[in-house]
Amino acid sequence: MKRTEEKKIKIRIIIVGVIFTVFYLVIGAKAAYEQIYRGPTLSQKAADQYEKMYYASGKRGTIYDSKHKEMGVSIDSISIGAYPKKIKDKKDDSKTIAKYLDVNEKRLLKKLNSKKSFVWIKRHVTPKKAKNIKDLNFEGVDFIKEHTRVYPKKTIAAQLIGFSGIDGKGLEGIEFYYDSYLEGEDAEQVVIKDALGRGFDHEKRVSDYNGNNLILTIDSTIQYIAERALEKTVNDFGARSGMAIIMDPKTGAILAHAHYPFFNLNSFGKYDRGLWRNRAITDPFEPGSTMKTFLAAAAIESGYCSPDSIFQCNGEHNIEEELWEGAKEKQWKTLQQIIKFSDNNGAVKVAEMIGNKNLYNTLKDFGFGSKTGIDCPGETSGSLKSYLRWSKVEAGTISYGYGISVSAIQLITAVSAIANGGVLMKPYIVKAITDENGQFVSSFRPQRVRRVISETTAKTVRDIMATVTTSGGTGVGAAIEGFKVSGKTGTARKINKKGEYEKGKCIASFIGFAPGDNPELAVLVTVDEPQIKHSGGAVAAPAFKKIVSETFNYLTITPQIAAVRK
Amino acid sequence: MFDRRLVEYFDWGLLGLTITLGSLGIVVLYSAIYAGVDDPFKALCGKQLIWFCIGLTVMVISFLVNYKELDQWGLLIYFFSLLLLVGVLFFGKYVAGSRRWLIVGPITIQPSEIVKITVIIVLSSYYSKHANIKGLTFKELVTPAILVFIPFLLVVRQPDLGTSLLIVLIAASITMFVKIERRTLIYIIGACTTTLPLVWWFFLKGYQKLRILTFLNPDRDPLGAGYHIIQSKIAIGSGMIIGKGFLKGTQNALSFLPEQHTDFILSVLAEEWGFAGTGLILLIYLLLIIWGLNIAHGCRDSFGTILSVGVTAMIFWQVFINVGMIMGLMPVVGVPLPLISYGGSSVVTVMIGIGILMNVSMRRFLVE
Repeated sequence: MKRTEEKKIKIRIIIVGVIFTVFYLVIGAKAAYEQIYRGPTLSQKAADQYEKMYYASGKRGTIYDSKHKEMGVSIDSISIGAYPKKIKDKKDDSKTIAKYLDVNEKRLLKKLNSKKSFVWIKRHVTPKKAKNIKDLNFEGVDFIKEHTRVYPKKTIAAQLIGFSGIDGKGLEGIEFYYDSYLEGEDAEQVVIKDALGRGFDHEKRVSDYNGNNLILTIDSTIQYIAERALEKTVNDFGARSGMAIIMDPKTGAILAHAHYPFFNLNSFGKYDRGLWRNRAITDPFEPGSTMKTFLAAAAIESGYCSPDSIFQCNGEHNIEEELWEGAKEKQWKTLQQIIKFSDNNGAVKVAEMIGNKNLYNTLKDFGFGSKTGIDCPGETSGSLKSYLRWSKVEAGTISYGYGISVSAIQLITAVSAIANGGVLMKPYIVKAITDENGQFVSSFRPQRVRRVISETTAKTVRDIMATVTTSGGTGVGAAIEGFKVSGKTGTARKINKKGEYEKGKCIASFIGFAPGDNPELAVLVTVDEPQIKHSGGAVAAPAFKKIVSETFNYLTITPQIAAVRK
Repeated sequence: MFDRRLVEYFDWGLLGLTITLGSLGIVVLYSAIYAGVDDPFKALCGKQLIWFCIGLTVMVISFLVNYKELDQWGLLIYFFSLLLLVGVLFFGKYVAGSRRWLIVGPITIQPSEIVKITVIIVLSSYYSKHANIKGLTFKELVTPAILVFIPFLLVVRQPDLGTSLLIVLIAASITMFVKIERRTLIYIIGACTTTLPLVWWFFLKGYQKLRILTFLNPDRDPLGAGYHIIQSKIAIGSGMIIGKGFLKGTQNALSFLPEQHTDFILSVLAEEWGFAGTGLILLIYLLLIIWGLNIAHGCRDSFGTILSVGVTAMIFWQVFINVGMIMGLMPVVGVPLPLISYGGSSVVTVMIGIGILMNVSMRRFLVE
């Protein structure tokens, strides 16, 4: 090599070196840019990828009856979901999974082919089934711990308790009303996930945010007694449905709250939605003659009347009780007799005597036309027009329970006030709330609403009502040997679609309490459209008797009088 | 005949750099497969170590024989390597849609890797005879063009865009170094710019076009073609300045990184050791490059000089393309990171190259 040539080559090598170094500086600068300047942003992006927020909901609280028997409990279950993007052989996988989990293969495949980042395959499967799937090691299939709501007593107090949905949210009844107490808190937890969506630290995410428990005033034994009696009555008389409520008149606590037909809370979806409703709370109806009880109370309280005040009744308005349908000739009856025989015309006469204002105020004080405030969702206030807007006819009919609508809970609450010496109590279902360790969070004391009538008036009315179950009274079927039973029958014609009262379509009811002088139980039984017999006395009174006597048995309340009052 | 000066002039520094890089490679590879989810990768560390030893042996062989012999045998070696490439076309193993591997007994070799070296040798041999001060004329460039075009075409057919691109880049570097006559150079540049669109339309496969489009805008398909670049950048960037620590890389461990033990291995390093690690590794490579150029500088015959520049250019381009790719400076083309990426053929090829550099280095006292 010549010298100059060699020198030139050396220079070229240096040039190459400079060029290569510059290139490396460029990638070095790029590295600095990504790692130092953009580092924090990219770190966040990295975290976003592998950290998935997971919301674990704590276990829902238990619903107990007053004797601490479980009415609604949550048990652990596993739900299976999938990340469709991470499943490679969707067709094959869905075939296998469908077979193991007993789900529709086509529907599953459709889910897996969707563009969603996550789909449920099956919610709430048994741990054994979940393990079967887990053992197959599918990519992109995830197992999530959840809770399933189980109602051990199935149909018992179904409409009252209600149910919670698949997501653990209370949808109906107590489950809905007390949802915020029952539901477990959502625990936010970070789960590390890899690129395939496989999660780590699955075990750590059990949360300690369980919901509170409810202790109801309901006694499931009494509830059972009420439900059996109701079921038999509705079936015996070919009725459409029925309700029975038992209240402790001294406190307003609901001891039983029965609806028939029943439905099973564990499979509520299979039943007609109409059955889910807590009709005793939500459905207003025209009560008919049971309202005469409150007429009597208004009459005595007004001071214009005594039980022995005499009214001339012509029988013409007597559209009500079958028993007295034939009586047309003019008769003189005392207030007590009007109640005992449930004379509508007599009731009108009594109402005329005490005046609209007096009747309205008393009814209003008994709680008609306004909500009782019971801790159940969807309560109706019924309807009670202001007396200023009563027409002449209405002024009469309201006295025997037409032109006014009430809910079953209003009725039992109002009659309990009479049993309770004239003091109206607020009805309630939940007596205490406890936390997951059984410690009391709060307990509900009986709440006095107001004094409606004087103590003496209440006693007088109780005595008048006691005659109803004595020989010749409309409610003699409710009489229980050894007890003084106060009550009142009702047979309300139902309005058909044309707005007319239809013959043969009635709501038969009986309302009352016992023992007569110191009532332990107030009971309302209503039967919708009984076919074989129609009157409250014939249909509902025997059911009342059955319920009260069996409950007394259960509560070991012994007979107080030796012989039946004649 | 053994010359004692061969030992005296032995390039211990280059050996040190090589072993440093190789050891780093094993450490990072361990980290890359430590993710531990996929058992088949567990054995890779041991395998790579074996390959590294094989590489060292081959390196020793490559510096024992005087490099000047290569000048004479160059063409023959070149044709032999072409034969292997043709063999790949017919008997190669299909992996993920391309045929790049020949199975010879227990081992799998990638002839396209070896071809890089043989092209360097054959070009050096040719240029050492034709180089002049004025630069190469168009006529003189016809032979090298053919010498490069044949292996290029064979590798493109596999298809292996990364390696074929490398062959062209190495050849171009050598040619530019040797000097092209100015007028010829202008013509070539003009011709290249006009044919580029034609290459796009007629030569590139769909997925290759997609990669280039994705490179230009990775966010156009974040879960598909752009996934690799985005994930790689996230891993690198989240390493920040000092990194997450050895075996602590989340993106690698959680399988977000693609090809984490081969082409994307630097992402693992960058995530765990941060910019400190990336910077250091780049510095070591730069040192290696300068070392290689220094050998070229010290060499007194033109064959040895061009050969050294060629080998250095090969290492340079591989590092540049690989690092550029994982940082989103370049489209995703499969180019391994010398001595660090997992892969026997790649390790052995680089070691042969380094052996050649040592060869030239230790014989710098020999005057023609």
